[in-house]
Amino acid sequence: MIELSISFLLTVIVVLLVMLFLFTIYLLLQHEREIRFAKTRDTYLQNYSQHWYNYLFNDGNFSMVLVPRGRAQVAAIEIIFSSYLKNITNEKVEHKIKEFSNHYLKKFYDKDLASKRWSIRMNALYRIADLQIDELLDTCQQFEKTKISEEEYFQLLKIYSIFRQELFIGKIKESSIHYSESEYRRLFVLLEDSVFIRLFEDFNSWTKNIQFAAIDTAAVKRHMQYIEKLKQLLTYEEPEIKIRALKGLYEIGVIDEIDPYVPFVASDMWEVRLMIAKIFKHVPLEYSYAYLEQLLEDDNWWVRSQAAKTIAENREGIAKLQQFMESSNDQYAIEMAQETVVRRQGIK
Amino acid sequence: MNKLIIAEDIMQEHEVKGYFEILRESVIRSRLTMTVVFFKLASSPQGTDIERNQVNHQISAFLTSKIRKTDLLFQLADGVHWGIFFLQSSEVEVKAFLKRIFAILKQEREYQQIALKASITEIRNNSVNFETLLDKNKQKLANDEQPIWSIQQVTDYRVQPMEQVKVSIIEQNAIFRKVLETTFTHLDIPHFTLDVATYEDGYSFLQSETYKTGHMHLVIMNDILPRKNGLEILHILREMPNEKKFIIYMMSERNSEGATLNAYEGGVDEFIVKPFNLRLLEAKIRRTFARFWL
Repeated sequence: MIELSISFLLTVIVVLLVMLFLFTIYLLLQHEREIRFAKTRDTYLQNYSQHWYNYLFNDGNFSMVLVPRGRAQVAAIEIIFSSYLKNITNEKVEHKIKEFSNHYLKKFYDKDLASKRWSIRMNALYRIADLQIDELLDTCQQFEKTKISEEEYFQLLKIYSIFRQELFIGKIKESSIHYSESEYRRLFVLLEDSVFIRLFEDFNSWTKNIQFAAIDTAAVKRHMQYIEKLKQLLTYEEPEIKIRALKGLYEIGVIDEIDPYVPFVASDMWEVRLMIAKIFKHVPLEYSYAYLEQLLEDDNWWVRSQAAKTIAENREGIAKLQQFMESSNDQYAIEMAQETVVRRQGIK
Repeated sequence: MNKLIIAEDIMQEHEVKGYFEILRESVIRSRLTMTVVFFKLASSPQGTDIERNQVNHQISAFLTSKIRKTDLLFQLADGVHWGIFFLQSSEVEVKAFLKRIFAILKQEREYQQIALKASITEIRNNSVNFETLLDKNKQKLANDEQPIWSIQQVTDYRVQPMEQVKVSIIEQNAIFRKVLETTFTHLDIPHFTLDVATYEDGYSFLQSETYKTGHMHLVIMNDILPRKNGLEILHILREMPNEKKFIIYMMSERNSEGATLNAYEGGVDEFIVKPFNLRLLEAKIRRTFARFWL
């Protein structure tokens, strides 16, 4: 049995009690600090929200009382700015926010970038992008040379894509870090059209994820200038590129000529044939009907179903389908046409 | 003394009075302008009773052939005035109508003995009774020096009454909610007064019960809200028996066709993707209200 002297035990208890006491004091102080922080932030919000509104929207005078004194007031200003930027578009307001942030908030975020805590650094990077603090771009480039996480690097790319797009294109070319498609999409959607379109110039040099993200972003941006670029991708061997390009063209919804799409009616891949059946929705039925009839007799259920839907959406579509039912010998196609007609008439 | 000549195949003054009172009230309820025109023969036709009778019938037949099925033609008891109620028509349309028929009357040989003058009254409120309307128009047309084919105007009833509109802003973000409140409080829409109230979540809006009053109600809300979300509120409002009184604008951060379609199919009048331009929102609201009156 271990023998412990009473004096030793008492010493241990006293030490533990002292530690507990110190820890409690620390927690209380932290709590007090947090309360004070929240109180200062809320007081600023209460006192100056209207002032900010007048300055930003009504051309009211700028007052030095708006300049933050301390972190809590910066947090309040962040809340005000993000409320405006998330909900309202107004060039004048955005310019004023940018000007103010570059002037009065820069020093806070500059300091945050040197913080040891990842969350503080990330928050600073987010704010630099949101508030357009371009005066911190050099600091960001210096920051990139330090040991940073993948997430921080991604935020840096976002900052470059906003402020220095040439640098951004260079960085994603040389980057050893590979992001997911959705992450690349989040970056590309911020690019100006003139820069974004350059992704299609040297298309083969990009990784698959970048290629796919570029095609999908073009579909989301829906600009006419991307139609030609997407049409060029239809010649690629890679099926995924072909299918996504077709999907992008369908999303943009402007089919200026039918010829480039006709060979795909006989494609080996049902996904391609399905996309063609969808694309023909944007073509007058008189030009597309012969091909849609062919797709209506397709082996694949999805293709047949889409072809029938596309025909039925036209004003003369139902009559065409009824005519088809009388003349066709393909029982599967007839059933699909019948089902679509019934459903369509049910909707009406 | 000349005998009064009344065309028996069109409505007469005493028959029309009751109709006028109903139509006048319907102007307010449906917010559709009505315009009344009175014609008077510019000079008393000369000749025998038979000839004057013929002119009278000719005018009645001519006007009957030119009006639409929604217009109501009648003759006044004095036999030298005719009137037409143009429903759902503003003064501009009626002036165009008058120019057209006057041009025909001046051109066609068969109407050469007819010379008319007219007076127009645009009605957008219910503060006029039939007798006063007749008196005012008759006075306008009584002046013999007034040129033939001239068009006079009675402008006393053209201002529509002020209508109170309830505006409910349902937005979680306090700062943006305040911005919307300020915007709508300062928004000046002719003939409508906006009574603005704000709510931070769907439940408090429903609890307030302001939506149960009979006023026209403009609801500006986010699609995602705490406690009761925007789509639920939309559903509740559109299920109400008098759902047409609601003008619903839905704001959303989701810029997708699916979300937009879903909202329109659910019954929103406008779907606005955030962030948006406040001036654009104001312009849309103004257009929405401009559609209420012709």
